[in-house]
Amino acid sequence: MLSRVANSLYWLSRYLERAENLARLVEVNRYESLDSIDPDPWRPLLYTTCNEKIFRESKEQDVGMFISFSEDNPDSIRECVAHARENARMVRDQISEEIWRELNRFHLFIRSENAVELWKNQPETFHRRTIEFCMLLSGLIHATVLHDEGWHFMQIGKLIERADKTTRVLDMLAYYQGIAPRAKLASALKSCSAFNAFQAEYRSGISLDNAMSFLLFSASFPRSVRFCIQQLDYHLHTVSGSPIGSYTNEAERITGSTLAQLNFSSSLNILQVGYHDYIDSLQKQFNEIGQQVFDTYILLPLEIRSNTNSGTRRRQNDHQRQQQQ
Amino acid sequence: MFNHYVKGEFFDEMFSHTSRKTFPHYECLLEHYANYDVTSLSNKQRLIENTFLEEGITFTVYGDNQGTERIFPFDLIPRIVPRKEWQLIEEGLTQRLIALNLFLHDIYHEGQIIKDQVIPESVVKTATHYRPEMQGVKVSRDIYIQICGTDLIRDDKGNYLCLEDNARCPSGVSYLLENREAMKRAFPNLYSQYKVKPVDNYPDLLLKTLQHLSPRQGHGPVCVLLTPGAYNSAYFEHTFLARKMGIEIVEGRDLIVLDAYVYMRTTKGLEQVDVIYRRLDDDYLDPLCFHEDSMLGVSGLMEAYTKGNVALANAVGTGVADDKVIYAYVPEIIKYYLDQDPILQNVPTYLAWREKDRSYILSHLDSLVVKSANESGGYGMLMGPCATKKELQDFAKKIESEPRNFIAQPVISLSRHPTICEDLSIEGRHVDLRPFVLYGDSIEIISGGLTRVALNKGSLIVNSSQGGGSKDTWVLND
Repeated sequence: MLSRVANSLYWLSRYLERAENLARLVEVNRYESLDSIDPDPWRPLLYTTCNEKIFRESKEQDVGMFISFSEDNPDSIRECVAHARENARMVRDQISEEIWRELNRFHLFIRSENAVELWKNQPETFHRRTIEFCMLLSGLIHATVLHDEGWHFMQIGKLIERADKTTRVLDMLAYYQGIAPRAKLASALKSCSAFNAFQAEYRSGISLDNAMSFLLFSASFPRSVRFCIQQLDYHLHTVSGSPIGSYTNEAERITGSTLAQLNFSSSLNILQVGYHDYIDSLQKQFNEIGQQVFDTYILLPLEIRSNTNSGTRRRQNDHQRQQQQ
Repeated sequence: MFNHYVKGEFFDEMFSHTSRKTFPHYECLLEHYANYDVTSLSNKQRLIENTFLEEGITFTVYGDNQGTERIFPFDLIPRIVPRKEWQLIEEGLTQRLIALNLFLHDIYHEGQIIKDQVIPESVVKTATHYRPEMQGVKVSRDIYIQICGTDLIRDDKGNYLCLEDNARCPSGVSYLLENREAMKRAFPNLYSQYKVKPVDNYPDLLLKTLQHLSPRQGHGPVCVLLTPGAYNSAYFEHTFLARKMGIEIVEGRDLIVLDAYVYMRTTKGLEQVDVIYRRLDDDYLDPLCFHEDSMLGVSGLMEAYTKGNVALANAVGTGVADDKVIYAYVPEIIKYYLDQDPILQNVPTYLAWREKDRSYILSHLDSLVVKSANESGGYGMLMGPCATKKELQDFAKKIESEPRNFIAQPVISLSRHPTICEDLSIEGRHVDLRPFVLYGDSIEIISGGLTRVALNKGSLIVNSSQGGGSKDTWVLND
């Protein structure tokens, strides 16, 4: 598969996952803010999506508009969908017609005036519709394309994004520095579609410790960090063809080591490291994995390594010389 | 519905010019359309256009930094071409393509046609798209133009004339195929009554044409489609064709040349490429050879090409045949190589570099169409009868200072076809026809073509960038 195509498929599904998580996060936050006495209920959300600075510099005054529609915000829902569609456009021949059509409809919807109106008058419907589009696409990706290399790249993009978003929700709890009220814990779980699953597993009720353990370490909840990383490990190994438990590139090595750490940690370890620092180091690892996937499969020098004629070697030498200078 | 239709002074595709009678091949259609009123037809049309938008069957409008995508407006009344007429078109196009190919081979090798003084050397070598780099280069199978999209028009008697040969990267075939899909969905009964020749074999034929060129023996040919990228106005078509053929669509940055072989970069390493269906102009193909600042091309591609390690479709340098001055010589070219009379006539053309022609052009400017030799898309032309005094003066100056770059033709009032207009009336609109011809193992012409419509009242300009739309074209089996 073309490296550029792999890259586009990766970002296509990563942006969709981002849009979906964002919509859910905003909806939960919005609903909760109805009862909130907090004068600035959106602050934690901006904090968690790292967009505080961009918001201050943006001409968009309304936080909700900023998060959902603003062009200034590279991660607004509208922009995420536009990026996903742009990537899909570049690999149209590689995805099914169904995926393309629904993504294109999604894009046309979200940039229409109707979408803004809907968001103003019936925000819940707007967010639900957004999430539905994402889920529909996720279903189509699952059911209408070959589960080949390209599909694995789509899964890799999705899982890195999902793991990252779950840690961001957890980080939002860190904002309350260990005294998060029950309502905040519940909305954190809801933001990950985890509330019902959590209740099924923890009959004893909600606590920071429980919620955190569930979202980080659950072996069977599909949005827990551990679950995502385990899946990621599988997809990376399927792409490279190397057996699980070993590694042939940096992406696999870091993923494996992160997974081992998650497999054998408990909330006690987190308290020792410090809540925020623990989350922070996870996020750094995810970034590193994303970067290594790019270096391994998309960048040029390593591609050339597989070819051994003299011209290649010359070029490779040139490349190394340049790096040394 | 057609009761108020005004045929006008033009050749009409549906109604005979001698009487008010309908041409026999349109009778069945008229009968069928009597079931609808214009509103319901227009609703059907809007539904189709909406589907086009949702499926992203669009072209990108240039000069608009929003990268706006538009659909190519689609008209629901198909153009019908009887079998006899189509046979003539096929014969004419085949003859033309064979002759043009021999011509290109000749001018890039011995230049016999120049030595025999049929065409002056200066005309050939000053053609904008003449490529001296191609002198003496052997191209795969000696075929230069694999894909040709010739524009045909009909004059006031209904004769088919050839307006221009698009021998570089003709586009539009995807709209032809999508229009057919839309019509089959919208009028299944009418369609099946008519026994229309299918068009959906085009991608297969195109792939065969490409595979035929592969220089690598004993290995399944690896063909790719080279696109300038997602912002190109025809990008939809590029992905469409690549998908239908099942080949990779690549950008310049996906390819790399090593030791004069072309490879594409894949997640598993490099893979050798044999045939490139390039939708990129010559100028951008290789920064080492042409525009050095081109970001779209591939460094070293020309070396790989001239050494015969990779085939390009179309060949480099075919643009000479698109030059409108060369166009004027096509009847002589046909005569010279094939010793035949042309089956499809040219539009009479005056060449400004010939002194006699130039003085004629300058004294009849207000009744002629003046075109620059190497512009396309309806740009760089002057419609004498509609031009202001100032425009006429400006053009006269241009013609005098660069006579090689201008030609003039009498205004041909293109034939008209009933078309649904914005105000829900049905009026005659001018149309042309672009059939697509493939030259591989043999010459294949897809049975149909892109009928383009000038949607603006009275307009003769059918280009999508300037208010043109399209119709499905039905070639009949009997």
